[in-house]
Amino acid sequence: MMRKRLAWAVFVLAGVFVASSPAMTQQNTPAKQAPQGNQPAANPPRRGPAPPVEGPPHDPHDLTGVWNARRGYGGDTYPGPGPELTAWGEEQFKKAKASNGGEYTLEQTNDPVITKCYPPGVPRIYLQPFPMQIVQTPKEVILLFEYDHTVREVFTDGRKHPDADALTPTYMGNSIGHWDGDTFVVDTVGFNDKTWLDRSGRPHSDQLHVIERFHRMNERDLELDITMEDPKALAKPWQVHFGFQLHPDWTLQEQVCADNGAFVNFEK
Amino acid sequence: MRTKLFSLIALGVLLALSVPAFAHHGSAAYDMSKTVTVTGTVTDFQFVNPHVLIAMDVKDPATGKIEHWQGELTSPNHLARAGWTKSTIKPGDELTITGGPAKSGSPTMWIRKVSKDGQEVSLGGGGDN
Repeated sequence: MMRKRLAWAVFVLAGVFVASSPAMTQQNTPAKQAPQGNQPAANPPRRGPAPPVEGPPHDPHDLTGVWNARRGYGGDTYPGPGPELTAWGEEQFKKAKASNGGEYTLEQTNDPVITKCYPPGVPRIYLQPFPMQIVQTPKEVILLFEYDHTVREVFTDGRKHPDADALTPTYMGNSIGHWDGDTFVVDTVGFNDKTWLDRSGRPHSDQLHVIERFHRMNERDLELDITMEDPKALAKPWQVHFGFQLHPDWTLQEQVCADNGAFVNFEK
Repeated sequence: MRTKLFSLIALGVLLALSVPAFAHHGSAAYDMSKTVTVTGTVTDFQFVNPHVLIAMDVKDPATGKIEHWQGELTSPNHLARAGWTKSTIKPGDELTITGGPAKSGSPTMWIRKVSKDGQEVSLGGGGDN
């Protein structure tokens, strides 16, 4: 009985790393308001595959809803070239034993999210193959992630980041946001150094600084340009792009990392 | 005699400690460039995080021998959005599953397609989430 349970456990966990590529098939419901229509930004930042811009009008300042990675986004890392790492970064990357998209088995991986259920950090959270819900309030934008109840609060009340001395290092960092035209810009600092930048093991330090630019291109598509700066790990900023699709009929479900460990203790 | 007894005990210990045949780990465990299809009777269905599992008894039509297969699916969250519940598959159901086999050769697979009573059961868009 015990052995059977262990067998199931190991089998369950084995699949955690099978490459995942979120897929979307949902279509949108009619638009809400259209104060500005489908106008592209005056100076659109670098983007990935161009989404369709036809369709119902939308409010580019309304990011609320449940969003899932658009087809082509997900897996072990972001589309496009990888980062240029510093010598320290290369050293850390060599130590990383990734299983998602990598060659290491569950017993061999040292992915901290898998082995310790650490929060994935930013921007890796977007690579976890589960949707996110964006909630907008007058003073903050809240990002709720289905993956392991992960939450980010992006303050929009005009506050600044705490002084470095007062900034407690965290997995998801300290985020403040503001609107730059139709683009919602999120600035995040105050990370610890316990997680990876992606699921392949690209490292970061506690000097990581992430700038995200969210732009709702149309009713269905949300584009995200991400710039990662980390003088200790990255020889130059790493710029990547991510794409989301709205799923109006979805709600977030429960997903618990601890369930993985309930079957077998794989702490390393 | 003593040596033989010791060997038997040692063998027993080894068997008790041995990792189950399907204890492979991670994507490296499956050969997704290959495809295998088996038809059998469900013995267990686990609608659990992080991935849903199906166990089946598969009878070799030539020899009549029963082989126990295990199949792994995407997350229950993803399957729920495709309409699955914990009762979508039950022990005793006749299923055909198709997927990438384990590199180890053990009777396990990463399932890409499920058919029940001759009808394909949707895994949702992509099915890899």
